[in-house]
Amino acid sequence: MLAYEKNVYRLLFICIGVFLLFALLADGIAGSAHGFLTLQLHAARLINDYTVVGSSGGALLNAAVMGLLSLGLIKLSGVRLSGPTVAATLTIMGFSLFGKTPLNALPIVLGVFLASRLAHKPFRSYLLMALFGTALGPLVSFIAFESGIGGLGMIILGIVAGAIAGFILPALAMAMLRMHEGFNLYNIGLTCGFFGLFAASVLEGARRDVSITIIWNSEPRLELILLVPLLSLLFIIWGAVSDGRKLGKNLKAMLKLSGRLPSDFMESISPGSALFNAGALGLVGSAYLMLIGADINGPVIGGLLTVMGFATFGKHARNTWPLAVGVILATLLFGKSLTAPGPVLALLFATTLAPLAGEFGPLVGIAAGFVHLLVVERSAAWHGGLDLYNNGFAGGLTATLFVALIQWVKAIKNQ
Amino acid sequence: MKNKEYLLHLLAEISNYILDSEPHRMVISLHQEPDGMHLAVMDDNKRPDEELEAMSKALNSSARPELAEYYGSMGGSDLLGTARLNIIGWQIKRADVGRIAEGTKIDLWLGSDRFDSSNFSIPKDE
Repeated sequence: MLAYEKNVYRLLFICIGVFLLFALLADGIAGSAHGFLTLQLHAARLINDYTVVGSSGGALLNAAVMGLLSLGLIKLSGVRLSGPTVAATLTIMGFSLFGKTPLNALPIVLGVFLASRLAHKPFRSYLLMALFGTALGPLVSFIAFESGIGGLGMIILGIVAGAIAGFILPALAMAMLRMHEGFNLYNIGLTCGFFGLFAASVLEGARRDVSITIIWNSEPRLELILLVPLLSLLFIIWGAVSDGRKLGKNLKAMLKLSGRLPSDFMESISPGSALFNAGALGLVGSAYLMLIGADINGPVIGGLLTVMGFATFGKHARNTWPLAVGVILATLLFGKSLTAPGPVLALLFATTLAPLAGEFGPLVGIAAGFVHLLVVERSAAWHGGLDLYNNGFAGGLTATLFVALIQWVKAIKNQ
Repeated sequence: MKNKEYLLHLLAEISNYILDSEPHRMVISLHQEPDGMHLAVMDDNKRPDEELEAMSKALNSSARPELAEYYGSMGGSDLLGTARLNIIGWQIKRADVGRIAEGTKIDLWLGSDRFDSSNFSIPKDE
């Protein structure tokens, strides 16, 4: 293990500790444990805010357990704790506030593990796909608890379906990557959305209802509101101390990078600057949401944590602001509310397209953010909310559109 | 030669990098060795020391199996943006970058997981 990795492990364990502490403050041990158990047996499709379903304490405990599971898998597989794995861990913790549970995530991981065996590859080669692939957790929960049949048999069927989905995931993920050429950071979101189209079709064919419902916490507790700003400050201080006097120079070098997949800022720049960048983006995102009066609930915290995670793996201030501006412009132009669930989540997750702005400039970024909001508001219905990374799905489609157009223009110019 | 797809990805990515600097001449030579392959690429571009150092650093990146398997497949097929040597670096065993009379030479050794440097024609003086 590299020296800086120990430092990053410590930081993430502290984050998990903060989640546990806030769970206790919110609902106590018994309340949080009860909420946690409730979540394991609940529907997970978009958008089920677990801070409502299983109480704030239960949701935070669920996120802490999932964070520990993620770090455990990274350590066991012998993969470095660096940009992509930090991104995966924070993303998993974030989405465990609205969809992921140990019960629905582990079958997907098992499926990816079986795929690695079949391909005669070590599991560490497929680890990222396993971690991010837990976005398909709702498929397991749907079959087990939401299909209207019930019983142990359906739980087993759900687990088997999850394992099959995980088994197929690596082949799909690598193919999807080539569609957008690394310009959509949430590639597994596109992959799971693509798979979800087929899964939702099969479920609808079996006369199951996969229509979208929204459970949204509009009165979040203080613990939830304070969580991300506190973690952001921790990342900022940790990063600044790690890099010392080199911080400014390193951040300047980072801003020059496009962020296209795979851009591990921890390796290519420095661990300290990457953590500082994560904290800064988390803080700016939180400040914006507080300013417009958005609900800082499970899904929104999930979005903020994902932005923070990917700030070590592709996102920074220069390549994210154009996307945010594009989403805000589309929201205002089409008469939507900036504080409605769709635009709030789209603003945070549209930064999946950061590499487009990083490589081709702010105008392309603004245009991509604009298109992204319009696509993402429709795309969840296509896969019945089975893909938790719906913005990754919409972002992948948007990136593919832009990449195709830019390639065509470039080819014409070169003639 | 085995692993045609793997080789084509690497060839396309390294060619993308070389062609970015608009050379007048580019020579690619691929040899089968006892435990893998040796790919040599030469052009007529004289690069500054800093670029040669950056190229060598990217091509000799530390092992990242989680990135090599997943993102490595993008090598040579993502030709819209700038070429990225680290994608190649994650998938090879060793790289040497140096100056030749006319320009630059890149040597890449692509081996199996049982890589043994003595099985390759890697210069012994290094």
